[in-house]
Amino acid sequence: MAEFIARRAMRAILTIWIAVTVTFFLLRLLPGDPTLLVVEGDMTPEMQQALREQYGLDKPMLTQYWLYLTELARGNLGTSFRQLQPVTDIIVSRLPWTALLAGSAFVLTIVLGIPLGVYAAAHRGKRVDRVVQMFGITGHALFVPSIGILLLVVAGSWLGWFPIGGAIDPDTRGADAYVSLLHHLALPLLSLVVVQLGPYALTLRTNMLEVLGEDYIKSARGRGLSPQRTLWRHALRNAFLPALTLMGLQLGTLVGGAVLTETVFAYPGVGRLIYEAVGQLDYPLLQGAFIMLAITVVVANLITDVISMLLNPRIRA
Amino acid sequence: MSAMMPPDTGPAGAVAVDEPAASTPPSAMKSLRRFLAKPSGALSISMLLVFLVTGLLGPLLVDRPGGLGSEILRSPSVAHWFGTDDLGQDVFAQVVWGTRVSLTVAVAASAIAIVIGTALGLLGAYSRRADAWVTTVTDLMLSLPLLPLMIMVTALVGPSVTTLTFVIGLFSWPEVTRLIRSNGLVVVSMPYIDGARALGATGWRIVTREVLPAVVPLIVVSVLLTAARAVISEAGLSFLGLGDPDSWSWGRIILNAQRSGVISTAWWQTLFPSLAILLLVLSATVAGVRFNDSRDPRLKDR
Repeated sequence: MAEFIARRAMRAILTIWIAVTVTFFLLRLLPGDPTLLVVEGDMTPEMQQALREQYGLDKPMLTQYWLYLTELARGNLGTSFRQLQPVTDIIVSRLPWTALLAGSAFVLTIVLGIPLGVYAAAHRGKRVDRVVQMFGITGHALFVPSIGILLLVVAGSWLGWFPIGGAIDPDTRGADAYVSLLHHLALPLLSLVVVQLGPYALTLRTNMLEVLGEDYIKSARGRGLSPQRTLWRHALRNAFLPALTLMGLQLGTLVGGAVLTETVFAYPGVGRLIYEAVGQLDYPLLQGAFIMLAITVVVANLITDVISMLLNPRIRA
Repeated sequence: MSAMMPPDTGPAGAVAVDEPAASTPPSAMKSLRRFLAKPSGALSISMLLVFLVTGLLGPLLVDRPGGLGSEILRSPSVAHWFGTDDLGQDVFAQVVWGTRVSLTVAVAASAIAIVIGTALGLLGAYSRRADAWVTTVTDLMLSLPLLPLMIMVTALVGPSVTTLTFVIGLFSWPEVTRLIRSNGLVVVSMPYIDGARALGATGWRIVTREVLPAVVPLIVVSVLLTAARAVISEAGLSFLGLGDPDSWSWGRIILNAQRSGVISTAWWQTLFPSLAILLLVLSATVAGVRFNDSRDPRLKDR
């Protein structure tokens, strides 16, 4: 078990290293001045000189790469062009909001998706099943900002049920603050879940149909277990772990969706930060945001894998 | 730990595509007839044709939106089918001009992704040594948050239709590789490949003459699904302000509405480009799924 975790952790580190390396070389081989990635005109001459030396911008590219990795290992992602602060500090202050949004979407999609997929599989060809199939195909065609704007306009502006921007009302205290937090989270979260849920439930339905065809299910039915009991006790138990793994594979897409929803709802996470950095051509911030999101996704994926392993009796022993 | 999951179950983000039917391919006319036999096939193809004609001919018939109009933020009417924006520009004209950009990026990016994805997929399927690398790199790409990566690269290179095409194309091949590889593996393990090898055929010849033709139907499906995803990616990047500043795109129309703070009042400015995205992507996806089903003899009576 420890070996499994160690192997998975090694793979996670390798993934992050490759992502960082590809980013480094990709950005430097593209047309354009690579110093533009680190130093910018708004900075004071002293600041520019310090950064040039820190990143060895006059040295060969491999030296630069080594310096870049060293700085990265120390948690230094460079200095933001516009805010003139360490990129790491800026992103770390925003990351909890994105983690909250994407994490809630992750959990909610699983919680809603599994019953939906199982139910559709159990009622194959019936109306519920056809609705899930339709929803699954349509999900691929849903554009996150479109859904976000629809919810914002209808439930936020017209009906006035939910706030139309921000993450929390700063004047609230105690329990009210949590209510305000959830109130602000509802619409961005819902727009993410609406887009994710259909395709997820559809894939689970397909997996479930395979499970239902297996021998142990037939034997459970043969022993006289009711279809309901077979489904929810036997089949679901075996469908849950793959469902968790499957959602883990979706984390990258989920974070991409979060970037778009946050922009629509002015939600103060990393996504909104990226949107602002694009407008200001703040390259260190964009690069840092990608690396931090990549690390977050890889670590979350690792946690998902470890949880599935702990839940899996075959490996746990 | 994923012992109970079939090894090639794609992420939920990928449309589930069944294994290809390993029978002899039906003739072109016959497949077309079978494809159109269900309303979903006929409807999706018609819708794709409508978009194609709009993208090709629309800009010749509708004036390019630009400048300042006198009628600001008008709701849809006979004069302005899709209303006007806060600069008095016609939203219908913007959507029509945006169609051309969406289609161009979708087709070109999909072509890039298909070429890379098919080449790597076949390489992985045929060569066991290369397969470890192909699988690792593909899984790695699929696990990363690609949108922030595309944002970073596009911002640095400078937004243009060409940049968007290359960035989307170069980051969209992993899904294609996964599909082509998993089905290529099935083909490679078939006896006739051993036969070809016994007759002394080179690896190159086997891959291009024997394996490639067998996965062509899947490539057709991939073209449609990849193009559909490219439309969504293009709209997303444009919505974040990374669209070509000199040409219209659906994402940019929605961004303009957001920037000018009129999304709650001028619903037409976000609704119509959103519908365009939905209909185009949905028809491409449905056409892809329908094409796959129509080739599968097991599904003949469905």
